[in-house]
Amino acid sequence: MATRDVPAKTAEVPPPMMTVGVMGWARENLFSAWYNGALTIVLGVVTLLALWFGFAWIFGPADWEVIAKIGGRFVIGQYNTEAACIGQDCFWRPLAGLMLVTMLLGMAWGVAGGGFTKRVAITVTAVAALAAFIPYSFDVMGLDVRLLLLANIPALFVGLALARYTRLGTMKWIAIMSVGVFLLTLLLLRGLPWVPGLQPVSVIYWGGLMLNLLLAVAGIALSLPIGIALALGRRSRLPVVKMLCVVFIEVFRGVPLITLLFMSQVLVPLAFPENFPQNSLFRAAIIITLFSSAYMAENIRGGLQALHPGQEEAARSLGLSGWQTTAFISLPQAVRNVIPAIVGQFIALFKDTSLVYIIGMLDIVEMGRAFIQGNPQYLDNAQELFIFLALVFWVFTYGMSYVSSKIEGNLGVGSR
Amino acid sequence: MDASNGHENLEKTAANGGEMADEDIIICRDVHKWFGSFHALKGVTTSVREGEVVVILGPSGSGKSTFIRTLNRLEEHQRGDIIVDGIELTKDIRNIESIRSEIGMVFQSFNLFPHLKVIDNITLAPMKVRKWPRARAEEDAMTLLERVGIPEQADKYPSQLSGGQQQRVAIARELAMQPKIMLFDEPTSALDPEMIKEVLDVMGELAESGMTMLVVTHEVGFAREAADRFLFFDHGEIVEENTPKEFLTNPKEERSKLFLSQIL
Repeated sequence: MATRDVPAKTAEVPPPMMTVGVMGWARENLFSAWYNGALTIVLGVVTLLALWFGFAWIFGPADWEVIAKIGGRFVIGQYNTEAACIGQDCFWRPLAGLMLVTMLLGMAWGVAGGGFTKRVAITVTAVAALAAFIPYSFDVMGLDVRLLLLANIPALFVGLALARYTRLGTMKWIAIMSVGVFLLTLLLLRGLPWVPGLQPVSVIYWGGLMLNLLLAVAGIALSLPIGIALALGRRSRLPVVKMLCVVFIEVFRGVPLITLLFMSQVLVPLAFPENFPQNSLFRAAIIITLFSSAYMAENIRGGLQALHPGQEEAARSLGLSGWQTTAFISLPQAVRNVIPAIVGQFIALFKDTSLVYIIGMLDIVEMGRAFIQGNPQYLDNAQELFIFLALVFWVFTYGMSYVSSKIEGNLGVGSR
Repeated sequence: MDASNGHENLEKTAANGGEMADEDIIICRDVHKWFGSFHALKGVTTSVREGEVVVILGPSGSGKSTFIRTLNRLEEHQRGDIIVDGIELTKDIRNIESIRSEIGMVFQSFNLFPHLKVIDNITLAPMKVRKWPRARAEEDAMTLLERVGIPEQADKYPSQLSGGQQQRVAIARELAMQPKIMLFDEPTSALDPEMIKEVLDVMGELAESGMTMLVVTHEVGFAREAADRFLFFDHGEIVEENTPKEFLTNPKEERSKLFLSQIL
């Protein structure tokens, strides 16, 4: 009988077809019920109207001249003005800092061997190099500036070669050199009185995107380790350590950043002699870092609490000490479990750097706002200005999201 | 019936075997443990000779897991003495850490480190605690993985392995510290039936090699084969201490009989 012929192996059957065409998809997802259909139509009409008027404005009456007028001041603020850099040209210093960064990215590319690190390195270098071809006249943007921007391309490949052909091609060296590059850039920007050509530039003239990025990089690099220390401290069995950490976290989380920044400017000087050197940028960086650390601590603590207690028990039963258990078992798992929250905090920190306007520093937003206030003929172009600023912030924060999602993928977060 | 009965039995066993008390690698005297107001261990007194395989049976909540967890101080006992390999378990942290590195523990839920590859799970403690160089630790780890039958899984992450394979990695991870004593806390309870045997085989082989083992398990077949002695726990105390054969065929206590009628 035919029914007795049982096949040795069940035949492989392909999964049923899931695609049902555009109409089928729309019926299933957009018009599955009368209220879904109504919502789809209303939202569709609103979106179309917004796009129609938006594009009509952008390509019609919008006047983007204000963006071109501000130009390089978006990037470095008043850094290269006569007041800031007396009798010298200082434009090359931030550009040299940028070249050091592209060199580091080249090294990272060399160590990672490709993937998203390569894409990030090439994108940053390409944007910097393409900026050399901005159609300003040579009076506004000199050949020297353009050549220094183009020099980012060789800088990238110098970094790549350093990573591939020297002993510097390890993560450890990149970490060390990143700290070095950051400090060297600060030194370049600040200048040294006894070095000819490196005339000191007061930090009150540092501005534009450069200021946002410096504050953000310092804040990001320091708030993670400080946050980890605070999170561990808050879980400590020592009551004094625990209490200090709780008080720190609750105070810095409980007060608005803008208030903290303001207090740092008006209250801190009271505690020091009148002639004590005052560095408003330094103080702002500390406040932003500590503020972010308090939030970071709670993110990390959440990650630590989510760990299965068996992890710690297994580590302890192997004879690992408390610190070894924390360093090799608990923290690595806690941090990778809360990467989304950590990156969210980094993004918030980057956007918050704009608040330094409260202490009179001209970050990219304040630079634009101050420009149209000082040049009333552009007052009507505030819309164009703020759309541009929003786009700049979005590009950087999206870059951070992109990098973090790639790091999550590489660490296998969510899949193991 | 209380702990004194168990103690008598132990002395009998020791006398029969002609062993001296100074070969006891674990000595427990009147060990008490409370969780809040719950009295989890009510005066446990027993000892384990070097190379002995002791299986601990008992209904859930009887204190058997708590008991073996006090032996490497994952739980602190509050009264009585525990002496492991000549060192008394006290609050002195250095004592505890040196004892823990001498005692391996295998958990019901494996507790492998999910962020580390199989090989790194095994080499971590030898490298950090024993300060072995990586090459030596890895060589040793591969030998152990071969012993538990899964050398080809060395570069995978724990989540890519089956439950049985994970538990065998967990055993290899503990063996890498070259422990004198291995504790097993229901090592097969979380496994699918077809994977239990592969883990029990590894444990059986370990028992034959002369390792001192304390095993909390419900696998009576394995227990009968491998164990030198049974401890039957109920309500936080040792109710009966006996040879496997005697316990399974001719239990002395009513509570033992009731328990056996429920699990067999």
